[in-house]
Amino acid sequence: MKKRNKGSFSWVVLFLVAGLALGLTGSQAYAQSKEPIKIGVVSPVSGNYADHGLLERIGMEMALEDYGQKILGRPVTLVVADDETNPDVAARRARRLAEVDGVKFLMGGVSTSTALSVGAVAEEKKILYIATNQNGDQVTGESARHYVFRTPPDMAILVRAGAKYVADNLGKKWFFLTHDYSWGHSGTKWARNMLGKVGATEVGEIKVPMGNRDFSSQLLTIRNSGADVLVITLAGFDNVALLKQMNELKLYDKMKVWYTLMDLVDMYAVPVEDRQAFICAETYYRASPEMEKLNERYMKKYPKLASPVLDTGTYNGWLSIKMLFEAIKKAGTADDVEKVICAMEGLTIKDNARKTPSTVRAWDHQLLTEVVVGKVNPVKGNDILEIKALVPAEGVARTKEENPINVGCKK
Amino acid sequence: MGILILSLFLNGIGLGLVYAAVAIGFSLVLGVSGVINFSHGIMYAFGAYFFWILYGKIGFWASVAIAPVLVAVIGFIIERVLIRRVYGLDPLFGLLITLGFSMAMEELIRMIFGPAAYSVSAPSFAKGVFILGDFAYPYYRIFIALFAAVMLAAVWLLVERTDFGAVVKAGMFNSEMVGALGNNLTLLRTSVFVIGAALAGLSAIIAAPIWSIKSQMGTLILMPSFLIVLMGGLGSIPGTIIGGLLVGVSTALATLVIPRFVDIIPYLLMGFIIYFRPRGLFGEQNIVE
Repeated sequence: MKKRNKGSFSWVVLFLVAGLALGLTGSQAYAQSKEPIKIGVVSPVSGNYADHGLLERIGMEMALEDYGQKILGRPVTLVVADDETNPDVAARRARRLAEVDGVKFLMGGVSTSTALSVGAVAEEKKILYIATNQNGDQVTGESARHYVFRTPPDMAILVRAGAKYVADNLGKKWFFLTHDYSWGHSGTKWARNMLGKVGATEVGEIKVPMGNRDFSSQLLTIRNSGADVLVITLAGFDNVALLKQMNELKLYDKMKVWYTLMDLVDMYAVPVEDRQAFICAETYYRASPEMEKLNERYMKKYPKLASPVLDTGTYNGWLSIKMLFEAIKKAGTADDVEKVICAMEGLTIKDNARKTPSTVRAWDHQLLTEVVVGKVNPVKGNDILEIKALVPAEGVARTKEENPINVGCKK
Repeated sequence: MGILILSLFLNGIGLGLVYAAVAIGFSLVLGVSGVINFSHGIMYAFGAYFFWILYGKIGFWASVAIAPVLVAVIGFIIERVLIRRVYGLDPLFGLLITLGFSMAMEELIRMIFGPAAYSVSAPSFAKGVFILGDFAYPYYRIFIALFAAVMLAAVWLLVERTDFGAVVKAGMFNSEMVGALGNNLTLLRTSVFVIGAALAGLSAIIAAPIWSIKSQMGTLILMPSFLIVLMGGLGSIPGTIIGGLLVGVSTALATLVIPRFVDIIPYLLMGFIIYFRPRGLFGEQNIVE
C-alpha cells in the first residue's frame, strides 16, 4: 500500500514537473509568438540618395500592408535609421539597431558603400541583412557574407544584359561617365569587360565625385570626344543635374546615352521639356494586372511624390520584405536567424513583375531577376519605358568561376 | 583640342562669375561685421526654393524680383534675432551660431519639400545652344554669366560710388571707429547682412535652371564661397571676383587633365595663395586680425 502510494506520489510529482515544464515552455512560446518582430531599416533620409531612401521605405510599408503587418501571427514593426548615405554612419546606426533595439533583421540602403559597412555589422551581430537597392559587385562578390542577401541585380547582370543591344543599335565607340565610388566603378568595369565581346571600343572615361552639381566642363569634353555612346553609371541628385545639363548642352545631338542602371525618379525630377530619350536597364516593369494594382495603390497613397510610377527603389523595398517574410514562413520561425538564412537560399519568388520567377542563389545570396532593357521616352505620364529586351539573369550573372565565393549554408 | 580648351575656358569664366556672385554677400558680411556667416548657404537655398515656387505661378522676371526680397526679409529677422548677439565676439561664435541655424533650416526644408531634388527649366528667351562648328555653349549660361557680371558691377558701384558704400568700406577697416564717428553701426551691419542675404538669394535664382534644387544645396555651395572669400581677401570685391574666376577657370580646365580630382583644385589654390599671402589676393587683413 505504502509502496503503491509512494509510486502514485512519484507519478504525480513527475506529471506536475512535466506539466510545469510544458506550461512554462508553452507560455514562453506564447510570449514569443506575441512578441513583435522588429526590422531595422538602415536607409538614407538625408544625403545624395535621400529621395531613393524614401521610395524604398514606401515599398517596405506597402509590403507590410500586404501581409497585414504580421508574419507567423506576430506583429512586425520597421525601425528606421538614417544612414545619411555615409558608410560610417550606416555602420553606427546598424550597430545601434542591433544592440539597443534588438533587431534580428536589417534591410535598406541605396549606396553600395553603406551595404558593405552594414553587412560587416550584420555578420558581427549574427543578424540577417538584405541590401535593398545597392548594385555594386562587392556586396555579393568579394565582400559577400553569410548574413547578407541582395535584392537588386549586381552591375555584371545589368551591364551584360544591355551591352549587346547598345553595341548593335546605338554605337560602338563608348565614353564612360562614372560616379567615383564602388558602385560607379562596378558599372564601368563590366562595360569595359564587354567591349571586346560586343566589338566596341573605349574612347575615354571621366570619374566624377558624389555631390557634383555642374557637369558642363565634363560634358563639353565628352561632346568633343568623338564617342557615339555615353555610358553612364551615376545616380541620385547628381543625376538630376546631369540629365538637365545633357539636354542643355545638346549632347543627345552628338551621341546616344546608355544608363547602365536608371532609377526613374531621377528623370521625373527633370522638367518634361528637358527630358530626352535614352537606353537603360531596369529591374521591373508593370507587366501584369497585379503590378498595375500595386502601382495604383502607390499613386493613390503618395500622389505628391516626384515619381508618378512605382520606382525601382520602391519595388525593391516591397520585394525585400516579401523575400524576408517568405523565408520566415518557410523556416517556420523568426527567432532562429540561421534557419531563416538557410530558408532564404534557393527561395523562389513569383512576383508578377517579371515573366520569369526570381530565385535567391544559394552560394552568393544574389536574387536572380529578369532584367528589362528599355528605351525611356521623354513623355509626361507613367508609360515611359519602351521594352527592347527582357534578359533572364541566369544567362548574364557572374558564374562561380568569375565570383569564386561560397557563403551559403551548404559549404 | 583648341576648340575644346576655348569652350572649357569660357565655361570656367561663366562658372567663375556665378561663384563670385554667390560669394560676394559672404565677403561683405565678413568684412563689415566680422561674422563668418555660414547661414549664407541656406539663404542661397531659400532663394532657389522661393524661385521654384514662384516661377510656375508668376513667371521668370517677377520671380527674380520677388524671391530675393523674401530672402532679404528672412535675413533681416535672422540678423535681429541671432547674428546681433555675436558682433564683436570671437568669430567662432558667429560661425557656430550660423552653422547651427543652417543645419536646422536645411532639415526644415527637407520636412516641407521632402528629400527629392527639383529642377526648373531655363526661361524661354534663353533656351537653345550657340553652336559654331565643334564649339557649343547654351544661351542660358551666357545669360547667367552676364547677369552675374551685372550683379557684381552693381555691388561694386554701391560700395565704391555711394556714401553708404564709403561707410561700408570704412566699416571693413575699423567698424568701431565708424561707430565712434557718429554712424549707426547697428544699422550698417543690419543693412549689409540683408544685402548679403538678398545677393545669396539672387545668385541661387540664376543658378537654379542649371543646377538642381535640393535641401543640401546651401551646404554644398558654402565651402566654395568661403574659399573664394579667403582667396580674394576679406571684404574685397575685386578679390572675390578674381577668386571666383580662378576657381571657375581652373576647375573647368582641370577637367581635361585630372577630371577625377577637380574638386581638390580650389583647396590647392587657396592653400597656395594663403601660404604666400595670408590676407588673400586683395585683402587688407586676415580673418584672425
